[in-house]
Amino acid sequence: MLARLRSYARTLRARNAFEDGMDEEMRFHLERRTEDLVRRGLSPADAARRARLEFGSIEKQKDLARAGVGVRLLDELRGDVSYALRTFVRNKGFAATAIITLALGIGSNAAIFSLFDALMLRWLPVNHPEQLLQVLKMSPDGTSDESFSYPMVRAIDAQPDLFAAAAGFSPASLTIGSGTGMRRVRVAYVSGAFYDALGLTPYEGRLLTRADDERGAPPVAVASYDFWRQQLGGTLAAISQPVLLRGVPVVVIGVSPPGFAGATVGTVADLTIPAAVLPQLVPRMDPLLGPGNSWLRILARPRPGVSVGETTARLGAVWPQITARSIDPRWSPTRKASVTGTRPMLTPGGTGWTYLRSIYVKPLQVLMGVVALVLLIGCANVASLMLARSSARQKELAVRLAIGASRERLIRQLLVESLMLSLLGAAAALVIAKVTGGLLVSIVSTARTQIVIDPTPNWHVIAFTAGVAIATAVLFGVAPALQSTRVDPAPVLKDDMRTSTMRSRLLPALLASQMALSLVLVIGAVLFVRTLRNLKTLDPGFHADGVLIVGLDQNGPPVSASVLEQVRQLPDVRSASFSTHTPLSGASWSEPALPAGRPLPERDTTLFVGASPRFFETLQLPILSGREFSDADTRQSPAVAIVNEAYATRYFPGQSPIGQRLSAIVRREKRDLEIVGLARNANTSSLRGRPPLTVYVPYGQLTGDVPTQLEIRVAGSAGDLTPALQRLLQPLLPNVPIDVERLAAQVDGSLIRERMMASLAGGFGLLALVLAAVGIYGLLAYTVARRTREIGIRMALGASRAGVIALVLGGTRLPLLIGIAVGAPAAWIASRWFESMLFGLKATDAAVIGTAIVILVAVAQLAAWLPARRAARVDPLVALRQE
Amino acid sequence: MAEQAELLPGTLDLLILKALSLGPLHGYGVLLRIEQMTRGALLVEQGALYPALYRLEHQGVIEGTWGTSENNRRAKYYSVTAAGRRRLKEATDSWNRTAAAMTAALKARPSEG
Repeated sequence: MLARLRSYARTLRARNAFEDGMDEEMRFHLERRTEDLVRRGLSPADAARRARLEFGSIEKQKDLARAGVGVRLLDELRGDVSYALRTFVRNKGFAATAIITLALGIGSNAAIFSLFDALMLRWLPVNHPEQLLQVLKMSPDGTSDESFSYPMVRAIDAQPDLFAAAAGFSPASLTIGSGTGMRRVRVAYVSGAFYDALGLTPYEGRLLTRADDERGAPPVAVASYDFWRQQLGGTLAAISQPVLLRGVPVVVIGVSPPGFAGATVGTVADLTIPAAVLPQLVPRMDPLLGPGNSWLRILARPRPGVSVGETTARLGAVWPQITARSIDPRWSPTRKASVTGTRPMLTPGGTGWTYLRSIYVKPLQVLMGVVALVLLIGCANVASLMLARSSARQKELAVRLAIGASRERLIRQLLVESLMLSLLGAAAALVIAKVTGGLLVSIVSTARTQIVIDPTPNWHVIAFTAGVAIATAVLFGVAPALQSTRVDPAPVLKDDMRTSTMRSRLLPALLASQMALSLVLVIGAVLFVRTLRNLKTLDPGFHADGVLIVGLDQNGPPVSASVLEQVRQLPDVRSASFSTHTPLSGASWSEPALPAGRPLPERDTTLFVGASPRFFETLQLPILSGREFSDADTRQSPAVAIVNEAYATRYFPGQSPIGQRLSAIVRREKRDLEIVGLARNANTSSLRGRPPLTVYVPYGQLTGDVPTQLEIRVAGSAGDLTPALQRLLQPLLPNVPIDVERLAAQVDGSLIRERMMASLAGGFGLLALVLAAVGIYGLLAYTVARRTREIGIRMALGASRAGVIALVLGGTRLPLLIGIAVGAPAAWIASRWFESMLFGLKATDAAVIGTAIVILVAVAQLAAWLPARRAARVDPLVALRQE
Repeated sequence: MAEQAELLPGTLDLLILKALSLGPLHGYGVLLRIEQMTRGALLVEQGALYPALYRLEHQGVIEGTWGTSENNRRAKYYSVTAAGRRRLKEATDSWNRTAAAMTAALKARPSEG
């Protein structure tokens, strides 16, 4: 085997030397034979002739010798490739149509796969990422949790004989700089073993160590390479210099290697900061270092030579000790059990972590399915093109068969042509994927959550694309190659080719499958577009248009009501309020709250929102009975609450909630609340699903640190209030950039998945229709061209133009009917897979399926109309003269 | 010249291996040695030798090196590799078994059947 490979390599490397050697060897033989024959008494001329006769055909022997070492196959392939290229140049229209079709089909796959790859499959650029493990904790009920408290991360890392290093990490953002130069910077809080676990070495300076991650250690940070180059000037002087983070000087001690920007996929960490430094930057965040907050994901590197199974066993053995250090003795037994009752699990962690995976894995899988169908439609197109063309090529093929080419040889050549088309299409597809990559990322990004991934095709994508291209070539190439070489050369050569037309059942079958696939995609597209529209036109219970929101302080003492008064003085401001949470911001707060007298459970039962006076007015969230909060609701006055309809129905069915009393835990404090108002249900946490049970409490009655949002309803004609708001608010909050957002944009942002599905499924549905239309057009145009004479005869015998049009259009009727009959149930079966992603309609929605069928039939008829009209314009005289 | 027999398919490879096992030869030399070994009783199409030599070299049972011939011309000399010796032994055994069986079969008389 090895000898053969060496022999191949040798012959390929020195192809000319091989030929020369063969020549020389055979010439030597002939000369020696001639000499021997002369010695036996023949004349030199006779001897030379005799020697050649005895030798046989030199070319044949050479060819056999080439075949013997496998060179002939390569020669033939090379010949096939250049022959295919010449054919493409001769049939530019055919080649261009096929290549563009394939480029679109393969390009769709490459683009979606790039996104899939970037989010799900790409290794982190660290040392041996394949060894890294992510630690999960499994609850007895089978759910897994990937978040750990800081003490637990430290306890896992500190275990001897367990991991070489284990580190926690979590993305966040901070403000950097001061005054007008203040801006947000993306950071990662990590535990001290982070760079150890990842096996990274510094590009400049040094990286974090466990010693940096101790309470009271001097605050330090590691810059990413890009951040260092772009924001810190890329100089050595920048290292060991402090930057101001939330006003605190933090020394940049080093730069991580280029390409690495944190372990959280989809975002970048400009600065990486030890978790223990957090209280120095944000004193109120101190509880994050305690056992009560699970906010870090863990990546761990096993000890060399210790298997995953062994590591899991060791981790399981010490798990009780680890969890014991991660609970607060003051906790209730149930809460303690929520930590101690878990068991550890290890999963591969080399691709990093991102919450995006849980959000996008399903949409991306559905989209991979969608683009696969688009490609199948494209394949059907190219296959019909190849079939149509092969009947035009029958004569060429027949000649080649007649002069001795084997059928295998012809099939091989046709397949090489298919592969060439496919690979040319794939090359164009990679360009498409690269160009559309940025577009795809922008579709899944919102202003607030920028997704940073590099969608540039890497070798994964290139390998995937090449694989798809080869599979594609087989799909569209094999059937036409088999069919078109099944010719008997004799009649083709004797006769002209018009009488020996190939009657193919394959063409209508291809058309029918295209129709079925298109219908599936169009139904899917309509379902997703309608889902988005249903959600956008849904009445969420409040009125987002005309409301501006400003995030003031994510965690601080309540902001003085006098600020609100100043905001209300600004021109165009109709009303303004504070709240702890704006609708659909993604953040929420929940607490246990039940009618007074019932024992409070340990778990949270109810969504809480702190709201200042005029909150309901600002959001236009109607109070159905009772009153709104007023300036009279202060810390000194009785504690009050407003409940929503869902809460009232659940706990006070059939009676008015006004005047009823609740007991609740509000920010760790047990309170008795009197219900003073009933608010309309609103979709504050998600547009889908039922409004959650909600209790509103006065912002002014909250104690301790709270998040503060400012909502402002402005007049329709209002100009940009941002500068005015910044002037007003910046002095109050020197460490927070004042960003003014529209509430409507936040509502839209909550629909990002739906928008992605609607635009991509819609786009691919459209592409499918275009490809199907091209397929129909191509097939009918070809049929009309082939049947020109027959149409001429029919017209000469009195067929009307309308009759001819009907005849041609009739060619699409059966494939269309079969396509609908197969496609509609297929769409129904496929829709079970993504039914959970729909909203406000069922996958079997008759109107949707009807719409899709109408669209498909309309497109099919339109595509068929052009060739039909051409057929109707056939002049019988001209057609018959073609004979 | 004595009456010549057609070469049985597959036997050319065996003859070449046998010829080369007696010492390295160039292509024409292989032909001469086969004639000599078979006393000219087997008909070898001279050109057919080369595809066989190339195939055997490709399989790694013989190897060719360029050298100088008796009369000082460049010629490619073939010799048997270790794999070739194993192949020759196996092929010889197999041939002997086949030949013995064939001979026995062809000697069979009706009365014995």
